[in-house]
Amino acid sequence: MIGRVVVAALVFVVALATYPGAVLVSLATRVVPTAAAAGSGGTLPWLHVAHPTGGMPYIADEQGRLVLLHGAIPAGLLQFGPGLAQPFPIDPSAYEGDRCPAAAGWSRYPPLCHSDLQAMAALGFNSVRLPISWSLLEPQRGRFDEVYVARIAQVVEWARALRMYVIVDMHQNGYSYFVGPGPHVNLAYLSGAPAWATLTDGFPSQVYRDQRELNPAVFEATTNFWYDRDGIQDEYIAALAHLARRFKDDSAVVGYGVYNEPWPGWNLSPGFEDLLLFPFYRRVIDAITGAHDGLPCWSGFFMPAVCGYRDLGVDDRRHLMFLDTGLVREVTDFPTHLGLPVSSYPNLVLALHAYTHIYTIDTFRGEKVPNTDYPWGGYDQSYDFAEREAKAMDAALFVAEFGDDPSDDALILKSQLQQQEKRRLGFAFWTWTESGGSWGMFTSASGCLRAGRERLLARAYPRATADPQVTFHYDSDTGAFSLSATGRAGDAPTIVYVPAEDGGAIAISGAAASSTETAQDGSRIVTASPTGGQFGVTVAAGQIRLSGCP
Amino acid sequence: MLGLLALPFGVFAPFAIWSGTRSLRRIRASEGELRGSGSAVAGLVAGLLALGAFLIGTVYWLVAS
Repeated sequence: MIGRVVVAALVFVVALATYPGAVLVSLATRVVPTAAAAGSGGTLPWLHVAHPTGGMPYIADEQGRLVLLHGAIPAGLLQFGPGLAQPFPIDPSAYEGDRCPAAAGWSRYPPLCHSDLQAMAALGFNSVRLPISWSLLEPQRGRFDEVYVARIAQVVEWARALRMYVIVDMHQNGYSYFVGPGPHVNLAYLSGAPAWATLTDGFPSQVYRDQRELNPAVFEATTNFWYDRDGIQDEYIAALAHLARRFKDDSAVVGYGVYNEPWPGWNLSPGFEDLLLFPFYRRVIDAITGAHDGLPCWSGFFMPAVCGYRDLGVDDRRHLMFLDTGLVREVTDFPTHLGLPVSSYPNLVLALHAYTHIYTIDTFRGEKVPNTDYPWGGYDQSYDFAEREAKAMDAALFVAEFGDDPSDDALILKSQLQQQEKRRLGFAFWTWTESGGSWGMFTSASGCLRAGRERLLARAYPRATADPQVTFHYDSDTGAFSLSATGRAGDAPTIVYVPAEDGGAIAISGAAASSTETAQDGSRIVTASPTGGQFGVTVAAGQIRLSGCP
Repeated sequence: MLGLLALPFGVFAPFAIWSGTRSLRRIRASEGELRGSGSAVAGLVAGLLALGAFLIGTVYWLVAS
């Protein structure tokens, strides 16, 4: 009899700690939604996630308009290996008065300066995804570097003055450069956790197949993070909460990227995502918003999927939480787990990293676009599934990262932008500048803006519209733009940005009153106020004036 | 064992159910000669729980997405 009770208890406990418990907690988040606080009074309008009945959630402003964020990703606040001193100052005073310090010669990325944000704004970007390093934020356990926080705040301040939003992104690549040197390991490609949170347990640091994550030390250190070994996940949550507390009342910070490109370590999909990653996201949200999802549990060591997290007293219910899909999903362009609801907090954004034909499995087979056999559904495959995943999570969708080698722009970058347009998705482009590499917006030799990138990324687009079903298209070859929307009289206006590069004539048709303002940089803002019915905004094809280098 | 494995790794669920059912039948048919019905039931229940979680999750995804 005792034996049967023990076996029954064992089954119950294991069930609670694994899929049955995870499914129950996930579905429970759908029962009682946590109220988001209404945002108002910020310098920039507060953004939130709107949830139309039966429709796709989307990022919206205080007037309920769909908002498209276009931006780039500068790496100038990250700490990469090989563990020498920072290649440029962290102290914000070094950047005051529009000063821009030089970077050490070995740095892959130049420092992020005020002029960078001005150049982004000139291309029409209204946002910036700002990657930061945990290793700089919390170099010693439990002690946050307020100088680094001030540096982040400085960039936010620059963005605010340019009316740009900032996504503060807790970044990592290959977990941390503190996994150490080894065969084929390039520490300059690794960033993330501080030394005290990098627990490799003696596993060798050696890269296989030229992929930074395929390293036993990275596997072990990452796995230790997911299992909260020695409470390091708790420290990470505390670090994010520290930032959230700092920017709680700042509407220029649109939200937080909770964890960049999560690598499963030794774990396998779908269990990694369903039992470790997304429950971790839920706990971060619990800690920052006080959502109280999941069961009250211990912390300091492994927390099963049913566990929520204690309210850390930040009570931030106005910022968006950007939740990256697992890295394996990025490689497959295919859902790798059940896609269960994550949290009752409504301001969730599924952050897609779109690297079709770059990091998808076709490239590992040596295929090169356009002669590839995968993904079977082309570029649509990843986006179709991502929309379904986001909808199942009741989250908006955002392309938090995409980019390519400039020689592939005509095939890859153009196709990605077409997908984003078709699905009304905002984007963040990797990367803004890169000293020694080839992916940046600027040539690595002369630092000149690549004209091809300017042509594709400085594009006309609706920044805000009251019609979430709006359709629009920008032809980067001719500069022609067309938008079709429907509105009721009194709806908030649709705002269309036309870059300085595009000098085509603007026309408004249908049921809308309009005005056009030309900014000092030559860009134009069209304001179309619906009067009831369908209306359109067009920009005629014409010569595109590019300022970049050919 | 298969039942416990099925809870974190749903792919084992059908095997746990099959194995649990088969073991129970053999135990009952043995008229007391074979023991372990408790373990067999536990494996069967765990397999059913894992399969149920998988089905609920999948149906939710299909409906909600």
